[in-house]
Amino acid sequence: MSVRPVKKPMKLSIKNDSVQAVLMLMPMLMGFALFTYGPILYILRFCLYKANDFKATYIGFDNFIRAFQRDPDFWDAMLNTVILSAGKLIIEIPLAMVLAILLNKGLRGTGFFRTFLFLPAITSTAIVGLIFSLMFASFDGIVNNILQSVGLISRPINWMGNKWTALEMLGIASIWNNFPINMIYFLMALQSIPTEIYECAELDGVTPWKRFWKITLPMIAPIAQVVVLMAIVGSLKVSDLVLASTNGAPGGRTEVIMTYVFKYFFGYSGRAVEIGYASAMSVITGIFLAIVSLIYMRVTNKMNRVY
Amino acid sequence: MSLTVRKRLSAVITYVVLIIVFIFVVFPIFYTFMGSFKSNQELLTSGSTIIPQKFVLDNYEQAWSLANFEQYTWNSLYMSFFIVLGTIITSTVSGYCFERGKFRGKNTIFAIVVSSMFVSLGSLTLYPTVMIAKWFGINKSLWGVILIRVLGMNVTNLFITRTYIRTVSPEIDEAAKIDGCSFFSTFVHIIFPLLKPLIATIAILEFRHSWNDYMMPMVFTMSKPERMPLVVGVVRLKSSGEAASSWNLMLAGTAISMIPMIAVYMIFNRYFIEGMTAGAVKG
Repeated sequence: MSVRPVKKPMKLSIKNDSVQAVLMLMPMLMGFALFTYGPILYILRFCLYKANDFKATYIGFDNFIRAFQRDPDFWDAMLNTVILSAGKLIIEIPLAMVLAILLNKGLRGTGFFRTFLFLPAITSTAIVGLIFSLMFASFDGIVNNILQSVGLISRPINWMGNKWTALEMLGIASIWNNFPINMIYFLMALQSIPTEIYECAELDGVTPWKRFWKITLPMIAPIAQVVVLMAIVGSLKVSDLVLASTNGAPGGRTEVIMTYVFKYFFGYSGRAVEIGYASAMSVITGIFLAIVSLIYMRVTNKMNRVY
Repeated sequence: MSLTVRKRLSAVITYVVLIIVFIFVVFPIFYTFMGSFKSNQELLTSGSTIIPQKFVLDNYEQAWSLANFEQYTWNSLYMSFFIVLGTIITSTVSGYCFERGKFRGKNTIFAIVVSSMFVSLGSLTLYPTVMIAKWFGINKSLWGVILIRVLGMNVTNLFITRTYIRTVSPEIDEAAKIDGCSFFSTFVHIIFPLLKPLIATIAILEFRHSWNDYMMPMVFTMSKPERMPLVVGVVRLKSSGEAASSWNLMLAGTAISMIPMIAVYMIFNRYFIEGMTAGAVKG
């Protein structure tokens, strides 16, 4: 894994520029090999073992068989992750796009709105989870109180008592936390479109609606493709938000893939430590993430060609 | 409808949408700060009001002296400080070596580093990371987090430094070389001082990340409350069993953890937004 210094027969001294470059880079390369690829190798090895903190026994592919045949909770967690991601991205991405377009109009006060709308993106995701779980508390939570006082509900909702309301809360919290960065990405993409195109379109009498679908969207498509990919992968990898808010409540039914596997690794929340099994689930998750990205790239590349 | 009327109308709609989103965005933060000034009694009896009937500082005093928040704040500060300082050095050095260095296998190594972006497993690699840190005896404190963040080669930072250094004219390097500067001293005396705007960007990105990070510091300080940074400490209150009675502490703690970040953001807001987008475009 680590990289040996270049061997040159002529002069291999500290005065040589190449030697200096390699030496300067060495600490980072070692850190990178150890802490980026090291953990992946570790997972690839232990997925074939039955292991806890003290001993490890080789058991072949048993962990994978267990995940596929005897662990419906794992697949529930994966399904939850997909539902949560899809549900929130359907709102988050169009919201970010619309706001970017509005901020790109250059009206007075745009700077003010841009500064404040970006605030959630600088807030720690774990803290977001905490704040939203306080706001959505069933007893005396501010959300229940507001909904009651405007008459939308007659008695407090126990948000954490039901899988779907708990997922709703997670989705809202996640949208709040993540839309600003996507908004800023889209805004940046919009600003890169030359204004002449719009001037021509205006002369030709193109309606704003048509202008969006025929000019704006195709022009920002390459950037949007990457932004949406990052949003998808990011939301499939959500962990701190869930740990800090529902933590799987009610009864592990809002567990997402990352928190589910995490708890097997660390024995968090009173679970037994099962490193081998957790590693096997990590491998499956990694393959799942790769497949999602590949399918996404395939589909969007085709869409790009249509324009 | 005449053109001016239409333009006005569209401006009005724009402002209405922006204001609604503004309220949605600011409300949770406003609620937290207001809640942190309520007395515990008021929090437990009448959660319905947003603005406290009486502003009290009790929660902050309690959090600070009784609930360890002085220690948490200090931990957050030193962890962020060393991560920011270390990352500035390691990112600029790596960017410089990959851009200006000439050694065999450079492009292959660069490709391997960049490709790590696509095999990242998020929180799933935390346990192996802790185990690897254990070999070096750094798994029991925030120094593990600091060393991993600093030496772990952040791809985003690598991209932005490499691109930035590319804009520095190579003639400057040549001139330095003629004057007898080695590869290393060219970096120290010539290139590094030219990177000031970039350093500001990296510092801000890294401060945001390290100050807000939860998962990594959490697994490195499990069961060691005296070493926890703020975010980990605040979230711990929630799971520590007496959740209902510690709302006031949670709110005050949350406010304490957010204030430095908001302050830095308000001061350096331009760098923030530029920096956070800079990494993405290249990625």
